[in-house]
Amino acid sequence: MAGKSGREISAMPEGGLKSKLLSWEGALVLILVGVNILGVSISPNYNITNVLREMPRYLAEIFMMFGMGYILVLGDIDISVGALVCLSGTVTVLSSNAGAPFFAAVLICLLTGLIGGMLNGFIATRFTELPTMIVTLGTQIIFRGIAEVLFETWGNGGGTASMADTKGLMLLAKKIGPFPISFFCVILVGIVMITVLAKTTFGRKLYAIGSNKTAAYYAGIEVEKIRFICYSLLGLLSGLCALFLLTATFGSNTTTGQGFEMEVIAMCVFGGIATTGGKGNLIGGFIAAFIIVCLRIALGQRNINTQLILVIIGLMLIISVLVPSISSALSANKKKKAA
Amino acid sequence: MKKKSIGQFLSESREASLVIVLIILLLVVGIINPSFLSFTNIRQIFLNNTLTFLMALGMLCVMLTAGIDISITSTLAFAGMSIGLLQKYDVLHNTFLLFVIGALIGLFCGFLNGIIIAKGHVAPIICTMGFMYIWRGMAYVISNNNWASGMDVAGFSDFGKDGAPGPYIILIIAYAVFFFMMKWTRFGRRIYAVGSNTEAARVSGINVDRTLTAVYTIMGLLAGLAGVLSVSIYASAQPNMQYGKEMDVIAACVIGGVAMSGGRGSVAGTFLGALIIAIISKALPMVNIPNFWQNLIKGVIILAVVILNVVTQRTIERQNLLRREM
Repeated sequence: MAGKSGREISAMPEGGLKSKLLSWEGALVLILVGVNILGVSISPNYNITNVLREMPRYLAEIFMMFGMGYILVLGDIDISVGALVCLSGTVTVLSSNAGAPFFAAVLICLLTGLIGGMLNGFIATRFTELPTMIVTLGTQIIFRGIAEVLFETWGNGGGTASMADTKGLMLLAKKIGPFPISFFCVILVGIVMITVLAKTTFGRKLYAIGSNKTAAYYAGIEVEKIRFICYSLLGLLSGLCALFLLTATFGSNTTTGQGFEMEVIAMCVFGGIATTGGKGNLIGGFIAAFIIVCLRIALGQRNINTQLILVIIGLMLIISVLVPSISSALSANKKKKAA
Repeated sequence: MKKKSIGQFLSESREASLVIVLIILLLVVGIINPSFLSFTNIRQIFLNNTLTFLMALGMLCVMLTAGIDISITSTLAFAGMSIGLLQKYDVLHNTFLLFVIGALIGLFCGFLNGIIIAKGHVAPIICTMGFMYIWRGMAYVISNNNWASGMDVAGFSDFGKDGAPGPYIILIIAYAVFFFMMKWTRFGRRIYAVGSNTEAARVSGINVDRTLTAVYTIMGLLAGLAGVLSVSIYASAQPNMQYGKEMDVIAACVIGGVAMSGGRGSVAGTFLGALIIAIISKALPMVNIPNFWQNLIKGVIILAVVILNVVTQRTIERQNLLRREM
């Protein structure tokens, strides 16, 4: 029921937002195509076989992207995941070296991640006054601290450990056709996570909490329970990330996973998920993740200063968050001129 | 009137409790290992943590406006790398000019942050995350992955070597200026006003955008200065310097009682918070706890402090409620 004068303004953001989101994902697909064209044009070795061969190293992070998307939609943030990857990887390597069979090591890896995530969730839901940034800042330092202690007391010291028995990992690093197993896992986890967020009541509750926590609470949503579940889920996915990272590195050290948390958040934000909560969806993040992965591989093959990628990621991030406010400023200007 | 006195009591008690923690810490460590309290050792504690102390001041301002800046160590690396390269290629060896150039680079980086956050209405963490990548990447790109070694910065590193007064003077001046600014100048009070209630500040005629920009610019300036100091103190410049240390700075502020939601925090508290973090990392090896326990203990202390704060806050509120009901 849009009236003529006053109504129009209040009705506008919804329509504008929807079309913007749609066009943002469209733009992301275009950028992905563009990155691949760039890759082909700057490097003669940039073809599908080579890209898929180099992919496993970067794929692991995408697992966490899905979990982080949930957390960001809730309006929270979790900066401890990089350290959690380090801890899970370390525990796995050390337990495997201590004689645990591969199956048990995998379980231990996932379990460590899950427990870490549950710890985050527990503190975040028990002390709701604390910003989650602070909670996870504390646990970030703790997780990496535990890993450092483990290296010294349980491992050989020196802050690094490599897996002695790599048979199981080799199995995980295998390929089906040209595609690595982790690729299928990412797609599978992605489909599940995207569907749950977009199509189930659980997913819609996340958006409700992210837009207005108090309103969601009074509407009968168990806010704290859902937050706890999301943190645990992200922890579990960190464990999964650590596992697939091991299939590429076969070892762990004190700097494993450093900076992952920011890269994962960057993927989400670049994919259109707002850190203020309640906005965006995982499909955008999924495409954005592949944009970053393809860009990395392309620049890596060309032997361009690999750190240039940092500048490009940063620029993409800032431009992507500036686009909405620039476009709204432009349309406001247009209105002013018309009036 | 009464409410204000409670608020004052709270903010005072935060610093008082920090002082008590500090004294207990010093006593315990001092009894186990008396050499900890020697002049040389205390001097080294400050020298090793000059960068955290310095940048915590800027982070205080940023967090007072309910923002956050995680690009500081990248700005530090970019500024530090720039002046390292200036010396490596024998362009400039004047210490004073190098400081000015580093500070200006930091100022520029901070200004970009501020203008995008204030005018573009971008969430501070996202904007500064973008620049965290950009400046760190730029540090690698301009240096082409090379270092500036101790030889390159030979004369310059005298300024910050162990025993030289330079870093201490900068720290003292910075803390004096900020203590004065945050308490007694209009600008300082404006920062508090913007942080406690942005809308109220805007309505009462404060230019919020300009205050925000200024805050991030100051943060950038301090990060740039820290970059120059870092090159001087560690006598080298590498693109990955101080990687990940921005969390230490934020942790120092959080321990010092700066609220992430803005509007609450003080220079004295920030100083005490940074000092506690500095002492923990220095004291552990001296009381026979191996250094690899450092991060674990630091993390536990950070969480313990913030959780304790919440718990005391809750008890106080409950007591207030009880008093009102009676």
